[in-house]
Amino acid sequence: MTTNPRRSLANQSNALKSTGPRSVAGKRASSQNSRKHGLNSAPDFESSIEYRALVDLIAGEGFSTFACADIAAGLLNYRRVMDAYYDTYSSPEPVDEFLRDANVKASNPIFSELLGPSGSEPQDVREMAAFFASMQRQERRKGGPVSRRSSDTHKLIRYQRNGTARLSRAIRQG
Amino acid sequence: MLYNVHFGIYVDVAMPVEDKSKSLLPVLSSPKLLPDESEAEFQSGLQGLLSELDNPSPLAVALVSQLNECLWWIKRHTVDKELLLHEAMARLLSKAGNHWDTYDNHKVSEALERYLNGRGDKDEAAWIDEILAESKLTLSDLRVRAFKDAAKHIKTVDDLIHRQHQTIRHLQRSIDSIDYKSRLIKRMDLELAALESKQSVKGVTLDDKSS
Repeated sequence: MTTNPRRSLANQSNALKSTGPRSVAGKRASSQNSRKHGLNSAPDFESSIEYRALVDLIAGEGFSTFACADIAAGLLNYRRVMDAYYDTYSSPEPVDEFLRDANVKASNPIFSELLGPSGSEPQDVREMAAFFASMQRQERRKGGPVSRRSSDTHKLIRYQRNGTARLSRAIRQG
Repeated sequence: MLYNVHFGIYVDVAMPVEDKSKSLLPVLSSPKLLPDESEAEFQSGLQGLLSELDNPSPLAVALVSQLNECLWWIKRHTVDKELLLHEAMARLLSKAGNHWDTYDNHKVSEALERYLNGRGDKDEAAWIDEILAESKLTLSDLRVRAFKDAAKHIKTVDDLIHRQHQTIRHLQRSIDSIDYKSRLIKRMDLELAALESKQSVKGVTLDDKSS
């Protein structure tokens, strides 16, 4: 699909006027907007079927009951982290090619047209152009898809480190 | 010996290692592959690692599977390092010679990727050569400059690779610990059996003496 620069600019400036969701369902949905990977929430492994299956499986290897529980929880936690790692890696934040490659200076006539008669002051147009230029700088700083997925995945390193240490400790102390 | 697992999954410690790794799949989520990756290659790596263990327990199989996933991640991240370099090269080429507005970054990126892999057609190769000549750069110059530009992102990927190495080390230690534990249990069983047989022999000789 080809991007119409005028349409795209209009959409982005209209979005700035939005006051957010009004309905309960909309507010509930938007409350999850900042949820990235869910690894900060406390998991409840003990009530899952997988946990009990793993405990039974590990019990046959000469570990104590406590150790079996620790190892099973450690394994499930490690898998949770690695699944989130994969999800983050496979779906990075998309590149906004229009914003990245747009010529902001050349877009001034479009900005003044979008602002209409109420905002026809040159100051308003300059402010809008400055805002778009800062958004463009941010977009360019993030780099392409590969650098985006690498930096997104990099944020999960500490979860992997903690998950591995927990699993390894449970096995060696068991 | 059969381990009874919920929802009818049985793991036999004497079963072939391929079957053991499959029997764990419903319990633990298995590592996911990207659409262009080969499942067969992933499985052959796993079987190769499992074949190095002597009759591994289900827990050892689970850990080896995680270890294989780490190796797979190292492979992915290593490819990413090269892709980052290509990404930076394409960006530099698009910018070079004040062509930022005329050359589409995406188009240059795709053409350069094919050019570097030797899969591009003549026209595309000529186009890339033309941009290189206009910007007075050789391919190696471009690579050096791109490396400088992408150094921050390449460092990020290096951190990711380092993390996978650390995880492998932890998993390896855990596998060793399980192996040691099973050998210790086996040895204690043998010693117990030897003691029991000694006791029974003593019991027989005492009975003989008393009679």
